[in-house]
Amino acid sequence: MRFLAIAFAVGRKDLLSEWRSRELVPALAQFVVLALVIANFGFQINNDNAFEIAPGILWLALVFAGLVAFGRAFAAEKEQASLEAMILTSAPPAAIFAGKALAAGTLLVICEAVLLPVMSLFFGTPLTFELAATVFLATIGMAALGCMFAAMVAQLRAREVMLPLLTLPLWIPLIIVGGQAVQNAIGGGGAIDQALWLLVDFDILFVVLTSLAARFVLDA
Amino acid sequence: MSAILAAGIAHWFGSEPALEGIDLVVERSDHVAVLGENGAGKTTLLRILATALEPSAGGLEIFGLNAHREKQRLRARIGYLSHAPGLYPSLTATENLNFYCDLRGVDRARVPEMLDLTGLTQVARRRVGELSRGLQQRLAIARAVIHDPLLLILDEPDASLDAEGPELLSRVMQKRTVVFATHDQALATRLGHRIVNLRRGHVVGAGSRLHVLH
Repeated sequence: MRFLAIAFAVGRKDLLSEWRSRELVPALAQFVVLALVIANFGFQINNDNAFEIAPGILWLALVFAGLVAFGRAFAAEKEQASLEAMILTSAPPAAIFAGKALAAGTLLVICEAVLLPVMSLFFGTPLTFELAATVFLATIGMAALGCMFAAMVAQLRAREVMLPLLTLPLWIPLIIVGGQAVQNAIGGGGAIDQALWLLVDFDILFVVLTSLAARFVLDA
Repeated sequence: MSAILAAGIAHWFGSEPALEGIDLVVERSDHVAVLGENGAGKTTLLRILATALEPSAGGLEIFGLNAHREKQRLRARIGYLSHAPGLYPSLTATENLNFYCDLRGVDRARVPEMLDLTGLTQVARRRVGELSRGLQQRLAIARAVIHDPLLLILDEPDASLDAEGPELLSRVMQKRTVVFATHDQALATRLGHRIVNLRRGHVVGAGSRLHVLH
């Protein structure tokens, strides 16, 4: 119970800070919309090829928005010199980590709530429950891995460079499975259930691994 | 049992020694002031005592517990004030303290009491980013004692505090074991029962405040 209480306290604090400062979400939402606008002009997208091209554009926008969202989760604590104060409270590092990942993941979900309707508007792709479920499930795994590496590189001066270098290779399985699932969800044909269950498996794996690693990463 | 028992503490940053051969015994309810010029190793020593930093060598016991193995248990008994306040600028003073109550499993009812102790009741609902550096320091002090710690470690607690600062610190330090670092010899002699002088990572003098004054 204490673990959950701490995780929710950390998550609530991060979301409240973001609500008050409005630093990240408006910028990320603008970024994903601009990415779609550029893709709309850059590719000759029509009803025949939308289900082939749109998943790639969707994941590119999500990956870069995610890198910014997860990177800021720990960079802000570092800049405010508040991470150490939090770690020295005797709260379990895994609970602090879970709270940070929860908040950063929620911010990305808010961006997705902008991204998916705009993608539907620009590319004419259907806005389905399966599409939302795919993106949501991938976000869980992305948040776990992204926040772990963000915590690792928070102390580094070159963290903006190091975070993508460390994170992107491990996001690849999520993007491959997620890409296939999105393609199926927006009309590419094929069963989506298998891809969704695979995403659930990845989520469990990444959440467990990063929770175990949190103690060593945060309290090194 | 001593509150702090440090034997041969040493710490290096790369090949650069920051502390060497530090032996320190602090009894319960003792107030120890650590004096020293910039780069003397005060902050490094305090960070080690607060379990924020592992020493490169030497042994450290706090309240009879090994500071390396029992880190998490000890942190519940230690309050630490670092150089930087480390507060959340977009949250109010009350919200900052509420957050640390939640992390430490302390009843939020303690927050008004701590705000009163540090003279922050009037600004409780103001965002920390709008507070002066001195008021932020007061809030950071309130955060350090929100869980009623047995051991208080304060790194330059007088930084940015006004003329009432020493009085506030005296109130906060009551009935606690305290190790604090300062550049201000007058504050060290006023609040410290004992004074430890550090120079280039070595203890070059230690004794009661009367001993150091003469």
